[in-house]
Amino acid sequence: MATLEDSFLADLDELSDNEAEMDENDGDVGNEEEDVDMDMADLETLNYDDLDIVSKLQKSQRYIDIMQKVEEALAKDSDGAEKGTVLEDDPEYKLIVDCNQLSVDIENEIAIVHNFIRDKYKLKFQELESLVHHPIDYARVVKKIGNETDITLVDLGDLLPSAIIMGISVTSLTTKGSPLPEDVLQKVLGACDRALDLDSARKKVLDFVESKMGSIAPNLSAIVGSAVAAKLVGTAGGVSALAKMPACNVQVLGHKRKNLAGFSSTSQSRVGYLEQTEILQSTPPGLRARASRLVAAKSTLAARVDATRGDMAGINGRALREEIRKKIEKWQEPPPARQPKPLPVPDSEPKKRRGGRRLRKMKERYAVTDMRKMANRMRFGTPEESSLGAGLGEGYGMLGQAGSNRLRVSSVPSKLKLNAKVAKKLKERQYTGGATTSGLTSSLAFTPVQGIELCNPQQALGLGSGTQSTYFSESGTFSKLKKI
Amino acid sequence: MSSFLLKTLTKKEEIDRIIRDTIDEVLVLRFGRCTDTVCLQHDDILAKSVTDVSKFAKVALVDVDSEDVQVYVKYFDITWFPSTVFFFNAHHMKLDSGTADHTKWVGAFHIKQDFIDVVEAIYRGAMKGKMIVQCPVPPERIPKYQLLYKDV
Repeated sequence: MATLEDSFLADLDELSDNEAEMDENDGDVGNEEEDVDMDMADLETLNYDDLDIVSKLQKSQRYIDIMQKVEEALAKDSDGAEKGTVLEDDPEYKLIVDCNQLSVDIENEIAIVHNFIRDKYKLKFQELESLVHHPIDYARVVKKIGNETDITLVDLGDLLPSAIIMGISVTSLTTKGSPLPEDVLQKVLGACDRALDLDSARKKVLDFVESKMGSIAPNLSAIVGSAVAAKLVGTAGGVSALAKMPACNVQVLGHKRKNLAGFSSTSQSRVGYLEQTEILQSTPPGLRARASRLVAAKSTLAARVDATRGDMAGINGRALREEIRKKIEKWQEPPPARQPKPLPVPDSEPKKRRGGRRLRKMKERYAVTDMRKMANRMRFGTPEESSLGAGLGEGYGMLGQAGSNRLRVSSVPSKLKLNAKVAKKLKERQYTGGATTSGLTSSLAFTPVQGIELCNPQQALGLGSGTQSTYFSESGTFSKLKKI
Repeated sequence: MSSFLLKTLTKKEEIDRIIRDTIDEVLVLRFGRCTDTVCLQHDDILAKSVTDVSKFAKVALVDVDSEDVQVYVKYFDITWFPSTVFFFNAHHMKLDSGTADHTKWVGAFHIKQDFIDVVEAIYRGAMKGKMIVQCPVPPERIPKYQLLYKDV
């Protein structure tokens, strides 16, 4: 246990050391004590009392610097940037990049503060967290309710839709919470204020970026809108970085991975920030995937134009946007009406003869059977039998003649699979035939002329007795004949 | 109503031209008046099937009231309207439908399919080189009439 504590402590020291370095780089001095104070106990039990331990962003120098610059720039409202200068050197551009990063940091910070508020307020009103999901709304609601036990006295009309207010009032009646002690309440309210401040700061930063995006990347913002353009540039890490990306990457910038390990991602549509653009919001859901690919491709082109600062008026961007709009409209138009097709010229198309197993099986039903084949042949020198006798009627050919190796010519079992109806009929016929004959009859018929001839059935099938060898066979011929 | 799709011929030159110009297609000429009820029914059937047989047949209407075409009326001996005469590559094709007159089809067809069958039979026969073909329409749907010869 001691070693575990020691290792944790060691990790913690590393962490705080790292943070100390980073803050020093930013020029921050006053925050170190709190880092060092933060102990292992805080990490393990998460029972922090002071908000400032958790949320340090507002105090950091970086934040203060950037906010200051933003204020100045907003107040100054500087005119358009110079054409032709490299984008990276423009100080405004650097500010934009910093602002992007900062907005992401602020978002994380808000999440942390929200967790803090929620943990403290759980003692009072646990269910509120599941009713109101948005962190800023939650902070506002908590601020309004305060320590009040009767929610109906609190007017939440301008903060939330009435359905949720109703849900809150109902659950407040059955909640197990108790009013908070005074100091905890103060802390909670302070945290709410902090959250709201951060939110307004974030809004300010975003507005600033939006307003400047028109001069930083006019073509890109012409297509996707300044807010999304700012987000894209921020995530990519600069306009040139965005320009270097292939369009398929641009499409998924900002995509939130919602699937856990093991779940397929094919059901998700892989769109990132582009989903929030006006273009995609106005396309019907069936065409969204195609449209997002199109928008990603064109916005990459626009970003490339912006990276080289080729077109500061945004003409290219507007043209591309028009192109996108036209294409999406074209996809949505109904297909052309069907014309009635005229009949084809008679006998102009040759009949397509089909082959295959099905045709072969069908042909087998009408094929000439072995019995018929035997009946068609005749032995030389012996008169054949016929149905009416003495040469009249149908001739029997080789059927029934001595020496034909068959007593009864039975057909080779056909590989036919009769369909169910025909098979049933056949079986019926067999059985009904069998029912009328007595058990003493046999299918062998003895006549003085015919007699019985035992034959090797395998010979008829052509398999031979199996012990015959062709090498020493009596009927065999020379295997190879060569003329000398 | 839909006979605006079918060409109406009123002059002899037009008839000559169309007979000459239809190559490798059956030419169906209907002789009749566009106001007659049986003619209207017949024309309706023709108009509906003209797109279906368009690849191997052409249909035209001849107005029997104009002066020019009386020559043809007399030549084909057309007395009952509508009468339909079939040509293939400027040969006059005869149709044996069990009636007395094989040179033309007298009356209206009952259903569209009958007409298409007749045209197809004529096409097949003509491509084989025959001058007269058997009518594939069953006898209950063939309009019956009596052939009078000089009031006999």
